[in-house]
Amino acid sequence: MNTINRFLIDSSKANPEKLALIDDDSKFTFSELEEKVIKFSSFLNQFEEKSVISLLFENTSEFVISYLGIINSGCVAHLIPTGISQSNLEHQISSAQPKLVLSSDSYFHRIKDIELKNLEKLKFSDVKELSSKNKTPAPTDYAYLIYTSGTTSTPKGVPITHSSCDFSTKNIAKTLDYSQNDIDLLPLQMSHSFGLGCLHTSLYVGSTLVLQKNPKPTDILESITKYNVTTLAAIPSTLSNIVSNYYDDSLNSLSNLRLIITNSTFFPPETIRKIKSVLKTGIVATYYGLTEASRSTFMLFDDEKKIESVGKPSDGIQIKINDENNDGVGEIWIRGPNVIDNYWKKEYSENKSDEWLKTGDLGKFDSEGFLYILGRVDDLINVSGEKVYPQEIERIVKVLSGIDEVIAVPMKHKSFGEVVKLFVKKSRDSKINSGDILAYCIKNMERFKVPAKIEFIEDFPRTDYGKIKRFMLKE
Amino acid sequence: MNLDDDVKKIFFETFPLLTESDFDWEKLQNNYEDWDSFAQLNLVTLTEAKFEINFSDDEITSINSAKSLLEITKSKL
Repeated sequence: MNTINRFLIDSSKANPEKLALIDDDSKFTFSELEEKVIKFSSFLNQFEEKSVISLLFENTSEFVISYLGIINSGCVAHLIPTGISQSNLEHQISSAQPKLVLSSDSYFHRIKDIELKNLEKLKFSDVKELSSKNKTPAPTDYAYLIYTSGTTSTPKGVPITHSSCDFSTKNIAKTLDYSQNDIDLLPLQMSHSFGLGCLHTSLYVGSTLVLQKNPKPTDILESITKYNVTTLAAIPSTLSNIVSNYYDDSLNSLSNLRLIITNSTFFPPETIRKIKSVLKTGIVATYYGLTEASRSTFMLFDDEKKIESVGKPSDGIQIKINDENNDGVGEIWIRGPNVIDNYWKKEYSENKSDEWLKTGDLGKFDSEGFLYILGRVDDLINVSGEKVYPQEIERIVKVLSGIDEVIAVPMKHKSFGEVVKLFVKKSRDSKINSGDILAYCIKNMERFKVPAKIEFIEDFPRTDYGKIKRFMLKE
Repeated sequence: MNLDDDVKKIFFETFPLLTESDFDWEKLQNNYEDWDSFAQLNLVTLTEAKFEINFSDDEITSINSAKSLLEITKSKL
């Protein structure tokens, strides 16, 4: 098993003069990047091994240098998303107990007033080279710490070991066929495991990584052409935005990509079809994973009949449906080297049984072993004994034009115990009303699934990562 | 469209198998094969949404024909 710092060291040894990293302001070859990282870690070596160092950076080369510098010094990188709320930032710092918080110069104002005993706070530009002794992390050491997005509950610290990361990175590279010939565009924050996994993969295979601070479609399309990009990693809403709002010549820049990878358990089929129609030979892919069990499945969309699946378990990972009902639906359990041992400092119980991680996700396998996600165990709506999966309702309603996002939650009801309530965010200028939606639901669903109430909403409560806080919509 | 047409349309949307020749304002709930408690909920929710009104529990219980739905709706507008 490798440690993460080996990815850069090995690629630098194999191709020192090859371009490793490009961002708005700079370019680095592998040897230049390695040199920067070594200098940076010379400063961090003053901290005891396994100390936590928090990072608050945009999607820039400064993040990469700082992150790899921490890894190289045998410390644990605590990754903070730039969009974090003040209360969540304080919660994470208090839980992670870092020795140092590092930020880009432009984000220093967010950390300068944080109070914690013996905590140092520095800007990237304050870090200077020091003469120090090199350190080496072990595969079983924690490499980084990410907090869950808080979609379902309070954010929990998830520490990832070098060996677990090594396992997932090799799975990504092998399944999606990444190579040193790739030029990977990343308009995603690397403080999230999706973006971070892309960084690890690029370093591991020795490809060139192009960082983009924001996911604006025009910038993405421009970068693809400018840098001859071969792979793009983006969240589904960015991809939907691109294929819905840009046509012909603009989309031509996508056509030569060999891979578009996204990260959702629900990727709108219409978006997949549109992207596939634009790509000449490239593939569209997604994966299913939790911060606690990264990249547990991969799905390469090459079969129309499987368009709603998240694919098959990754190599070396076992997935089972626990306590399945007559339809084969039950809670998804995962076992493998990608599953965490425990939450940070065991602040929460690890929710495991005999090494199986209980994900809290509901799913089923089809006869060919493809996994389908149907929602969360806690989100299930019980209408007079009939089980309703919110995602099924959402999928049906989302097809209507004039709707941006929709969330189904349970609502208490005198006669039925629970009924379905729908929160709808309309598209701009949409004239759709609740009568239109209900008439469509009655036509396309079993009666017990039809919402008993529809509420239009300007926007949904969201986590710092932009995910909808579904639990806040429940009564 | 007038109110009668609107309510009739709601009936046809709630009971997709209903044909023009089967429709009768006086026809009672127990003469509809598919008018169960869930259909009642759908009917009420759709009417409330279309007219932006709310029915009380007693009013919901008293809806047992197209005519009764029409009259209760009329009283709310």
